[in-house]
Order: sequence, then C-alpha cells, then structure tokens
Amino acid sequence: MKVRIPLAITFITAAVLIAIFFTPHHLGEQIQARISDWLRVVGGLGLVLGIYSLLQTHLRKVARRSRDWGFSLVAVVSFAIMAVLGIGWGIGQGTSFNWVFNNVYAPLDATMFSLLAFFVASAAYRTFRARTVEAALLLTAAIVVMFGRVPLGEMIFPKAPDVAEWIMAYPTTAAKRAILLGVTLGSVAMSLRIMLGIERSHLGGE
Amino acid sequence: MRSAANRLTGPAFSTLAALVGVLLLSPVLVRAQGLAEAGTAPTGVVVVPDPDDDTGAKALLSWQAPRIARFRDLDLVAYRIYQSANDGPYVGLLERVVAEPAPPGAEPQSVSAAVSGLWSWRKYRFKVAALYAPKDRVWYMQGEPEPKVPEGEGAPKGPPVWAREVLSEPSIAGWELRFRLGPMTVPTVTRYTALLRMPARWYSSERTNVLLACLLYAMIVIWYISHARRGRDIYIRPIAGIEALDDAIGRATEMGKPILYVAGLSGLGDISTITAMTILGRVARRTAEYETPLLVPSFDPLVMLTAREIVREAYLDAGKPDAYREQDIFFVTDRQFAYVAAVDGIMIRERPAANLYMGYFFAEALILAETGAATGAIQIAGTDADTQIPFFVTACDYCLMGEELYAASAYLSREPMLLAQLKAQDLGKLLVAALMGVGAVAATAVSLFMFGPSWLQGAASVIERLINCLSPAG
Repeated sequence: MKVRIPLAITFITAAVLIAIFFTPHHLGEQIQARISDWLRVVGGLGLVLGIYSLLQTHLRKVARRSRDWGFSLVAVVSFAIMAVLGIGWGIGQGTSFNWVFNNVYAPLDATMFSLLAFFVASAAYRTFRARTVEAALLLTAAIVVMFGRVPLGEMIFPKAPDVAEWIMAYPTTAAKRAILLGVTLGSVAMSLRIMLGIERSHLGGE
Repeated sequence: MRSAANRLTGPAFSTLAALVGVLLLSPVLVRAQGLAEAGTAPTGVVVVPDPDDDTGAKALLSWQAPRIARFRDLDLVAYRIYQSANDGPYVGLLERVVAEPAPPGAEPQSVSAAVSGLWSWRKYRFKVAALYAPKDRVWYMQGEPEPKVPEGEGAPKGPPVWAREVLSEPSIAGWELRFRLGPMTVPTVTRYTALLRMPARWYSSERTNVLLACLLYAMIVIWYISHARRGRDIYIRPIAGIEALDDAIGRATEMGKPILYVAGLSGLGDISTITAMTILGRVARRTAEYETPLLVPSFDPLVMLTAREIVREAYLDAGKPDAYREQDIFFVTDRQFAYVAAVDGIMIRERPAANLYMGYFFAEALILAETGAATGAIQIAGTDADTQIPFFVTACDYCLMGEELYAASAYLSREPMLLAQLKAQDLGKLLVAALMGVGAVAATAVSLFMFGPSWLQGAASVIERLINCLSPAG
C-alpha cells in the first residue's frame, strides 16, 4: 500500500498531464494551473522541513562543540538575523533585509561565481594534453576557438574569428544536438518507466 | 362602516402613490426613454466563437456604434458588455471597450471586442451598453470602485460621475463549422442562432504527429519488454562510469573515508533528479553492506526527504538499520553558490574518498569538480546538462553523459524490463536519425526543385506540405 498509492497518483497525474498536452480546451489550462499551485504549496511545506533539518544539523554541532562548530554557529546566527529582519521589517526595497542581502550575500555569491574563471584555467591546464589522437584534436580545436575569440587572434590571422565561429556553429552544435537527442529520448523512456511503475526505486525499496 | 372605508382608502392610496411616483420619476423615465429612443443604443450585436482560439473559451462580439455620439452634455465614451449564461441575469463585465470618435456625418462604425472565460456547452447571450458621460469629468461604471480625481492643472473638476448606460437588444450568435486537416481547410459554414453555445475543442489536431510518434515509441518499448520477458539476453555495452561505482565505494571503505553524493541542483520534477535518487538507492545499498558513511547534502528539501527515505530503505534491505544516520542526509540551502560553498567546505573538511555528482547542474559544476579533484577524491559524474558535460569530462575521473545517466539504473539492476527499454531507446534514436536524414534530403530537394520546371515545382510543394505535416506544432 505504501508504494501502490504513490504509483497510482503518479500514473493518474501523468496521464492527465499528457492528455492536457493534446487538449486545447481551457479546462486543461486550469487543471495545469491548479497542479502548479499544489506543487508550490507542497514545495513550501517542504521548505519548512528543510529549515528544520538545517537548524537541527547546526544546532546539534554547536551543542556538542563538534569539529568546526564555529561555522555552524555562524550559520545559525545568520539565519536568525535574516529571519528577524525579514519578518520584522519586511523584505522590500530599502529594508535592512534588502541591505544585508545586497551588501553581504550578493558579493559573496559573486565571489563564488568568479572562482569559475580560475577553475576553468586550472582544469584546462590539467586536461589539455595531447596523449591520444582525440585529445590532440580537442586541444587543437580549443586553441583555435580561444584564438578566434580574442582580438590578438584576429590581429595575427584575420580569419581566426570565422574559423572559431565555424567550429562552434557546426561540429560543436552537431555534438550538442546529438547529446540532446539522446537525452530527450532517454527522458521520455525514463518518464514512461516511472509513469507505468516499472521504475520505483525513487519511492524507496525495489 | 370601517371595512367600507378601508376598501375605499386602499385602492385610492395606491393610485395616489403611483401618480406621485410617476410625477417624481418622470424626468428620469423621460430621460432614459429619450436616450433609448434617440438612437443612442448599439445595434446589430453578433457573437461568434473566436476562430483563432483553440481553448474554446473566447468569443468575438461585434456591433454597430450608436448613431448619436453626443447627447446634450454627454458624449459616447465607451461600451460595456453584459453577459448572460444559461438564461440567467445579465452581468456587466468590468472591462470597458473604448469608443473611437467617428468623423461627423460618417456612417455608424462597426466595433468588436473579445470575451473570454466562456465554458463549453453553456448558452450565452450578450448585450452591449453604450456609455455616455461628460468628457470633462472623471467617470466610472456601476460596480467599479470610485476612482480618484487627479490633481493639478488641466485636471477634471468635480467628483467622479456614473456613466449613463444604454443597452442594446440581445445578441444573435453565429456558429461556424470548420474542418481542418493539416494545411488543408474545408470552407466554413455559418448559421445564426439566438444563443451562443460554445464548441468544445477537446483535441488539438495540429499535435497528431506528436501523438503518433509517442504511440509508435510506446509500441516499440512494449514490444521490447515482451521480448525481454521471454528470457532472451539483452546486450548492453559497458559504461565505464557505472562500472567504476563499485571501485569508488570500495576505495572509500578501504580508506575509512565517507562518500559524498550530490544529487544535483534541480527539484524532484526533473527526470535527472529522480534518476539520481535511483542511483543513490543502489549506492546506499552498497555503503550499507560495507558500513561506509554516506553524506548527501541536498539543494532541495523535497529531494532531502526522498533521499532520506531511499537511504533508510536501502539500509533496512541490507539488514543494517542501525548503521543508518539521518543527520548525514541534510538540507543545506536552495541558493546556488551558497550550496556550492557549503559542499566545497564539506569536501575540504571531511575529505571524502569518492565524490558522486548525479543530476542536473548549472555553472557550479566545475567549482565542485575542481575542488573535489584538489582533495584527491575519485569523482564520478552523471548529468544531462549538455552545457556542463565538458566540465565534468575535464575534471572528473568518469562521466556519464546524457542518456548514460538514465541507463545507470537499468545497468546496475540488470532487470530485463529496464534493459529492454534501453534497447527501445536505441531503436527510437535510430528512427529519429533516419527521419532527420530523410528530412534533410527532402528539404534540400525542395530548395533545388523550386526553381526547376513546373512538374518539379509541383513535387517540391508536395514535399514541403509533407514536411509541414510532420513538423511539430506549437
């Protein structure tokens, strides 16, 4: 019963949503909108449980003075501050919550994002070695594209941007589309498996 | 005596009251009667179902503007639509249709408006009211909240006033019968009735090609499943990333270090996340057997709940319920780079021996993979995000690309039904590739034949129509 009810709900909901795709009637739109509302409600309730898990994890570490409990204390205090500011004074423009978000969180977010530049360089340095034929091809294509993307490349070889553009527009796009084709068919097959109850590992147990 | 007096005063009193009422109300009655009689009502109201609307909820209303656009100090400013459903009372809609000023002496214009929110098989009638109001005053319709009068130079003076409404006669309905098959359309037939009964459009014929393709694919899948049930072996090529899962778990067990499992940054509505949960179940069963710690930091609370349930069941199945630690599967945050920072911190502090990235990832993929590589962990990634596959290929030891991620659960379980679906998937890909080849040749032929002799041009137009039939509709 624990597995059958979720399977039945999955099948019925999937069948309804598939039928709605082929039905232009506005009743279908309304059903879809209502299902989206339910998803938002469930997601909201899930967030409550997530916050409970978050606080439980960190408060336990602080209480037991586990290794690196200081980081957990920072997390709990930050959570409390933002919750008080948001609930007490709102989250709109000009509020303290908004100020902390824009001046503390946003720069930290941008800092993490900027690490990508360094990681791309380090990953490229480690990976682009011409050990095999395929690796040599990859290395050559990467050099040509990098050359074509910078002004220096165009100064040295005027056709470099066109060559780089050709590599991105044709072989790269073809490979991307091939992967997307497989992904699309794979996701249809996976959806069919889940809908028909053949795949039920995500419900727990075989 | 008293009853006779009562009999006399009753009727006399009502007659007197009626006369007084008529005298008091006569200016209004005369005014209303006068407005209606002076050609100030819209005429010829006709409603038809909107031919461009597939949802069956919209209709187009059209009417002739009143002959009189200005009456005493009142101007025609707008129209209001009244709707009656199933012979119920007429209800005024709150949308107003602005009246366009007509040149003096011109014939009454034809005005149209759309009405939405209609339901199939209900009977509708409409009336249109012409709204007259002074142009130098702020006006509003009955049922609307009273608007504020703007201040400043040139602003209207005086409080807002109600617009006077002059109703038309009830509408007549036009009914169109149309049959469409792909690019061909049969001419329409229109007949008029007193009531509009909205047609129910339950099937979108433009999507027939999608339906047929889905049915064909489903038939292929079912055929392969029945083929698998007969006990025949199905060969699946080795996938290095999935084969390496056991090695990764073994390595972590030998080193006494935990395994870090990141299920992507998408919710449970994503197929890749569900696949990640499926793989997590298999991984959890192995870690339960070896009693290797399994850390699952989650981006989504619902994913966390599902992961807990899956891991708990896996530990129960392995006979190690005491080894299950709920606190190892926890929610971190639903902000992208905050999550990445937290997981990177876990990697650097806990030093897991194996990092498994399964699911949908965005820009943070390389940050995760590079940090994991710096800690010396074995890394296996699986994602259907085509933009992140190159980064995982670069930074991880093994990478499951696209559909290999979906194949993982079938590959690990070796269940005949799941393997059969993989074969069906491959056949589907073959068919799509063949169709793409034929389509490319056909499109090339069309572009070449269009400038040839007439018989070639005819062939080109036939091929073009066929391509249009097969192309997916909106």
